[in-house]
Amino acid sequence: MTAVIRAEKLSKWYGNVLGLSDVSLEIGPGITGLLGPNGAGKSTLMKLLTGQLKPSIGRVTIHGADVWNNMALFADIGFCPEQDAFYDELTGWEFVTRLLSLYGFSRADAASKAERALHFVELFKDKDRPLRGYSRGMRQRLKIAQTVAHEPGILILDEPLNGLDPLSKRKVIRLIKDFRDAGKTVLVSSHVLPEIEALTRSIVLLHQGKILAQGDIPYIRDLIDKHPHKISVKGSDPRALAASLVAQAAVQNIQFGPEPGTVVFETGDRDVLFGLLPRLIVERGIDIEEITSPDDNLQAVFDYLVGT
Amino acid sequence: MPISEQGYSHWTGTFVERRLPWWPITRLGIRMAFKRKFFKFAFAISFLPAFIFAAGIYISERLEDFQFMLRGRRGSTSFLEVNPAYFKSYFGGDFLLFMMVMIMVLAGAGLIADDLKSNSLQLYFSRPIRKRDYILGKMSTLAFFLLLYTLVPGVLFILLKFLFAGSFKLVANYPWIPLAVLLDSLLLTLFFSFYTLLLSSLSRNRRYTAILLFLVYLFSDIFFGIFYGIFRKPGFCLLSIKANLQQVAAALFRVKPPFDVPWIYSLLILAAIGLACGAVLVRKTRGVEVIT
Repeated sequence: MTAVIRAEKLSKWYGNVLGLSDVSLEIGPGITGLLGPNGAGKSTLMKLLTGQLKPSIGRVTIHGADVWNNMALFADIGFCPEQDAFYDELTGWEFVTRLLSLYGFSRADAASKAERALHFVELFKDKDRPLRGYSRGMRQRLKIAQTVAHEPGILILDEPLNGLDPLSKRKVIRLIKDFRDAGKTVLVSSHVLPEIEALTRSIVLLHQGKILAQGDIPYIRDLIDKHPHKISVKGSDPRALAASLVAQAAVQNIQFGPEPGTVVFETGDRDVLFGLLPRLIVERGIDIEEITSPDDNLQAVFDYLVGT
Repeated sequence: MPISEQGYSHWTGTFVERRLPWWPITRLGIRMAFKRKFFKFAFAISFLPAFIFAAGIYISERLEDFQFMLRGRRGSTSFLEVNPAYFKSYFGGDFLLFMMVMIMVLAGAGLIADDLKSNSLQLYFSRPIRKRDYILGKMSTLAFFLLLYTLVPGVLFILLKFLFAGSFKLVANYPWIPLAVLLDSLLLTLFFSFYTLLLSSLSRNRRYTAILLFLVYLFSDIFFGIFYGIFRKPGFCLLSIKANLQQVAAALFRVKPPFDVPWIYSLLILAAIGLACGAVLVRKTRGVEVIT
């Protein structure tokens, strides 16, 4: 992976409070999910990456150049803040064009870029409405419009799906995936795991200002092999299946339910168990409806890593 | 193909740092001011002293036509003499200073407070805008209005005097007037800009800022009045923003200051307030520091 954004030993203090501690990471093209609970340091990291904050220690580079105070680099970054950042008196059109003018675009250029961006987020027809009349979903899409209007190569999106209804969420997810398809580098933060899962397999887990893990979900799962892995089997006779596996050393725990006909095995070696299961099922003639691994979602990974 | 179906491509242009990066911020500030209730009215009313003084210049050159106005003043026309005192009366006038505060209340109170309230600072600072550009942009918004009430009328008065008198006698007799007009305009502009922006950066609520702007100005003068009334010492004029501005204006136009206190003290107090405001302002408009 060619790193577009590189953070080296990044730390940030707010007085005595440590916001971020010794964070090193590389982000390449495509979507990277920044995941962590509230207070994990996601927004701090994003503000450091966008050059809004100066690191207390360490450095952030984009395309090899230091980002702090680098005005030329700012033109290639699009930042979507978590909170609403609007003057309610402005219209959507004024909001986007005024922000574009800060990049030094001429009035005509700003207008054409604003038009393009508003079309992109499907808000062009509402462009002349004051922002106070925009719904939550429209405001979120407008924030995305101002993020992409100047056509940056790097997009930093802080909780872009926060508080959206499912329909708006789907729209925004599609937009973010469009950026990925266009070859952009996208960093998306969220504290909601399924949101990140819907966007990307490449994640950075942040907790209490530190990176807990970084990589794709299976890679992170491999990092935590010491934790039992759950395999859920649904079939006609879960107790027979449990009886045939109870003697296996690879099985650490067996639970029935919560769904009828379901048995959940906990194992320290999922490869061994995945090898055993098909053989036993065939040998004993047990009817199986499905085999799933509940741990293959981010919630499990996150819970394991933060020790909850 | 509709625009919405076109994909985005990476911008390959060269970024040219603009010469006046703060100008869009100024433009937005001016535009937003005119959207405020009562602002247009206050904006127009604030030109009243300028119109009256401009008319005074015209009358001073046509006294014979306006003799009827001087009845009861026993022919005294000294108040219509266009000299340094005339300019000082304009620049240190109570009404003008009051209207300037009102303009700051209406146009300036929300300049930073609104950005803090709407979290806009992060939008500014994630763009090619430095902190100094941001502050300069906000100050220029205020300077635009303040210079409209100070420097522009001041220069116009001189030009009108040239025009109506048909000579440059004003500048020949009082060569320091143009410089005094410039310096007093700059002093008023800088002081009120720092004062307004500081108070605007202290709160996320423009109403509190507006009240504070007004009350600090008003109460500084009330305190002066109270202390002066009790102790009869003109030194208490240093407590009043208005009195300090009038003292310095008098000194710049080389006329007798209204209070028997060295004008330099007033200048030092105004400079100290301005510097303190500037220092706090720079601290308050740092990049938003959020831990979430």
